[in-house]
Amino acid sequence: MDAGSVASSVLRGPFTGRARREVAFCVLTLPFGVFIPLAGFFATADAGLLLGSGRPWVANGNPSEQAVAAAVGVSVLLTVLLVATGAARGLTAACRGLAARLLGERVAAPAPMPSRRLAARLADGPGWRALAYLMLKLPVMLLELYAVVVFWGAGLANLTYPFWWQFFRNHPPGSHLSAVPVITPFGWFGQGRFTVATFPGTFAAFAAGAGMLLAAPWVTRAVVAADRRLIRGLLGPGFSARLADLERTRAAAVDDAAARLRRLERDLHDGAQIRLATLAMNLGMAKKKLGDSGVVPDADGARELVDAALQGARDALGELRELARGIHPPVLDNGLPDALASLAASSAIPAQLACGLPARPAPAIEAIAYFCVAELLANAAKHSAASTIKIDLSERAGRLMLMVADDGRGGADPARGSGLAGLAQRAAVVDGSLTITSPPGGSTRVTVEMPRHA
Amino acid sequence: MRIVIAEDAALFRAGLARLLEDEGHQVCAAVGDGAALLAAADEYHPDVVIADIRMPPAYTDEGLRAAIELRRAHPGTAVLVLSQYIETVYAARLLSASPSGVGYLLKDRVADVDEFTDAVTRVAAGGTALDPEVVRHLLAASRRTGGLDRLTARERDVLALMAEGRSNAGIGTALVLTLGTVEKHVASIFAKLGLPASETDNRRVLAVLRHLRS
Repeated sequence: MDAGSVASSVLRGPFTGRARREVAFCVLTLPFGVFIPLAGFFATADAGLLLGSGRPWVANGNPSEQAVAAAVGVSVLLTVLLVATGAARGLTAACRGLAARLLGERVAAPAPMPSRRLAARLADGPGWRALAYLMLKLPVMLLELYAVVVFWGAGLANLTYPFWWQFFRNHPPGSHLSAVPVITPFGWFGQGRFTVATFPGTFAAFAAGAGMLLAAPWVTRAVVAADRRLIRGLLGPGFSARLADLERTRAAAVDDAAARLRRLERDLHDGAQIRLATLAMNLGMAKKKLGDSGVVPDADGARELVDAALQGARDALGELRELARGIHPPVLDNGLPDALASLAASSAIPAQLACGLPARPAPAIEAIAYFCVAELLANAAKHSAASTIKIDLSERAGRLMLMVADDGRGGADPARGSGLAGLAQRAAVVDGSLTITSPPGGSTRVTVEMPRHA
Repeated sequence: MRIVIAEDAALFRAGLARLLEDEGHQVCAAVGDGAALLAAADEYHPDVVIADIRMPPAYTDEGLRAAIELRRAHPGTAVLVLSQYIETVYAARLLSASPSGVGYLLKDRVADVDEFTDAVTRVAAGGTALDPEVVRHLLAASRRTGGLDRLTARERDVLALMAEGRSNAGIGTALVLTLGTVEKHVASIFAKLGLPASETDNRRVLAVLRHLRS
């Protein structure tokens, strides 16, 4: 990056959509940082009242009122904590939604609580992690607040100084006017380090405001990054869910590989192999009809058999070529754009292709993307009755986004075994996902999202 | 000879029927699966049945099972099993179910028309036709466990052809030896391996195979 582009990105920083969305996220998630501190405050206050009163725990050999109150307090606290995991799940679901919508931080929701029973609540990992998020959200929330109020709010306020100074500072000469403070990030929440007493001084405030606004998006981005980390780490499905997911997709991958090899063997056995055996048989018969030497006993029969053998050889070659292409299409070595272009060109329904990839994904990802498009085009040709298909390949947030949409009659259902479930499985193996929207009578749109590297 | 063919690949089935008819045999029926094979055998009482191992519906070893069942129901019908692969265990199952009048060949062997029709004739006559590939596997396994070291290279060639089910005359033609020389080699092999001398070709094959598999 050269100096010019750095300067332009700094100058444009405050006006980008990303900056706006991050500020919106900070503001909208402010309340989430407050719940736990409030709960903690009441709990501590209660404990303080009980413990600080200095009354005895045991009176006349029986637990005192104080002890009973403490026991009740502790059980209430435990109950609150238990309900808290459920509540935290609900609250953080909103957080996750805001993060997805405003930050593009898509975190899968954890599995729902297995049951409402006490043991399940106590062992509810995602619930406790949600609670932990709400606790850690407090300091992060304060930083977010600082970024929004001081950098954005005060920065904007400072910009306005030169404009209103003339209207408010028009007192008769001789009246004593105190200097107006200018808020900067260097003071503690608005205890500005410098003040302005004269009109030319307001331009210093303006400059400070401009500087703060230029810095604001980067400060916001930094504190939001901390929040993103928390969300990713604590609000996702968690380690055990991830493990189960990996086990499932690994099993699917292994089964898929075995099934593919079996299909390959079957194709060879029933295709090229039997054609070559027939070809050899025809040639053997032809040889016999040609005789050992000299006179040919049955030239016509031999000719006919050689013709059949030739045809058999051509068919076997064709089948082997198709089979090889099915294993790995050679055009894929040139990259996905070329490979998809050749798929689009041979599609039964006219297909438009838009490719916008900054760099080549890993070969395994390219192969999955290729076979997805091939399968989706074949599906569309078979079922959709569409007149055009759009294929769109792009990259968003480091992930490969593949979209195939047609204008057909919809109604595609992965449960009905149209190969869609198989595609979803293949994508899942590399932590990708496949989304289908195909209302009956409407157009079908399949989106495949995958990482760039397997 | 009256022949029934069971083979699911239509092209190969038609070619095979033509080959056998060109050689002067009568193809009574050419069917596509094991059940149809049994029905056709019941109907036509052929001399020989030529069956593919892997056929519909399950594409595993239908042909082999049908062949074994058929030998049990019609002991007079010889069975030649064809396949694109050679599995020693299939050969063993076939031979242990029915030690004579059976054959197991790679489909490739059909390309040599004379050798193939010779195998069909041999099986029809109650003999055995084992693919050289099966014999090679058996010999290789046997060599690992010892026992064949005492044979000369020539004797091993003769042993392999014996195991395929060939007669002394057939061995003589294949190795370009006189009948007397072949007989001398055979006697020497039986003596070295400690096998009982057998009169018929088929008993001889079984003795050899039993030795190789033991």
